[in-house]
Amino acid sequence: MLYRKYLKMHIKSSFEYRLNTLFIAFSQTLITIGELLVVYLMFQRFDSVGNWGFYEALLMFGIVMTAFPIVECFFRGYDEFASLVKSGEVDRFLVRPVSIHYQILGSKIELSKIGRILVGIISSVIAIANLHISWSISKVIVLIASYICGICFVLGVFVIGAGISIYTIENLEFVNIFTYGSKQLANYPINIYNKWLTRLFTFVLPVACFNYLPLSYIMEIGSMPSWLYAISPLLGMLFVIPCFLFFNLSLKKYQSTGT
Amino acid sequence: MKSYLGIFKMQFKSELQYRGKAISGVATQFFWGLLKIYLYLAFMSTATVTGFTISQMLSYIWLGQAFFAVSYINLPKNSAKEIVQGDVCYKFVKPLNLYNQWYFEYFGEKLASTILRCFPLIIIATIMPASIALQAPAGTIYFLLFFVSLIISLFLSVAISMLAVYLTLKTLMPKGALGIVNVVTGLLGGSYIPLPFMPQSVQNVLNYLPFRYISDLPFRIYSGSLDIKTSLIQIGLSLAWLLLLVLIGKLVMHSALKKTIVQGG
Repeated sequence: MLYRKYLKMHIKSSFEYRLNTLFIAFSQTLITIGELLVVYLMFQRFDSVGNWGFYEALLMFGIVMTAFPIVECFFRGYDEFASLVKSGEVDRFLVRPVSIHYQILGSKIELSKIGRILVGIISSVIAIANLHISWSISKVIVLIASYICGICFVLGVFVIGAGISIYTIENLEFVNIFTYGSKQLANYPINIYNKWLTRLFTFVLPVACFNYLPLSYIMEIGSMPSWLYAISPLLGMLFVIPCFLFFNLSLKKYQSTGT
Repeated sequence: MKSYLGIFKMQFKSELQYRGKAISGVATQFFWGLLKIYLYLAFMSTATVTGFTISQMLSYIWLGQAFFAVSYINLPKNSAKEIVQGDVCYKFVKPLNLYNQWYFEYFGEKLASTILRCFPLIIIATIMPASIALQAPAGTIYFLLFFVSLIISLFLSVAISMLAVYLTLKTLMPKGALGIVNVVTGLLGGSYIPLPFMPQSVQNVLNYLPFRYISDLPFRIYSGSLDIKTSLIQIGLSLAWLLLLVLIGKLVMHSALKKTIVQGG
């Protein structure tokens, strides 16, 4: 209920600055199209990579490019939590009789990400239309689960970043490696990277769970039993739980910056 | 001139204070470099690219990471805030040229952050395992040309940033203006994707645009991907672009100044 009020307020405020929102949305969309162009150009020069072609990569691009801006739009508060810590705003959050997560959620909603979400969805649709997949209900479920897993993953990384900023006060550029690094990585099938990177981004940061593993199930390739591929997005979603635990634990150690 | 050098020195010194930020930046650039290299190695194992070997790719990527501060277009620190909140009028009232003030301010900032970041990254990249390490330059003359070209890049990159400042001054929307300038320079300049990976026809056009001179050209010269004659011609072209962009920047900034409405008091 309160969230609806927050949402309404943010929509209203971005409509006050129509031109600003539109301009940022335009430039953001342009950036995403630029990234899409890079994937396209790579496959123009090299036909395939590790048995994967352009449309497979496009679907992976579509998944990550849909999940990422959705989180950036609705969960931006976690990404910008460091600035709240620095300004002492968190103190105010803590004294209010509402859960802090609720307030972080409401603190920022960026509607200018809509353009990026659209690019992600359109890329996915184009990829699916051009991939010859024999669809079944289980495959549709796995595909949808991949998108949800992607959202959970990005949210988890943002929450960890927010948790770290409680100790460091300053937003560390280093955290970007995990957020934007995974985004970059997830544009291509994760198994083309070398062993330790693949392992890191499968078992520690489960990028593969919304990228290479479910796609292997949908494309009916891969050497492992297919049910293992199918449940991978579900396992990946669990990632978000320890992230929130870490954040809540860090919050207990929170020391106000004053003022 | 003396006061502009003063502005430069002040920004240079103040940027040197942010060592913690620089360490974090180096770590980020290093990891990005690794990601890119493993990605391109995977692609390059499927087909060869004419005029761009794997060892040239390694130098291209590592130098790109080490000199990220040169090729990345940003606004001078505080300038977005100054413009949006109206503090910019303090710059207007000084008996100094507005363009030059920003130019020297940003040049100092850029030079300092480059110096802080490039050496640690080059050292780390050199001691990596041989298959992914930064390679030695193609020869002494190539290295000298690389250095000259890099210095021009620094000036040119600041000149391009000034156009982003102009856009911000015009639109009062720093985030959007910067985003557009960044995607154009990143894509056409070779930091999104090494230019040799682009189709030949596209490369032929990009070779004459200013954007590649802030990243692609120096790194290509270093690894010997271009011969000396071509390098010299291209360096000459980059100088011409530098002069042209500074001129354009000064003209548009001057015209914007006449119409600027200062926000707030």
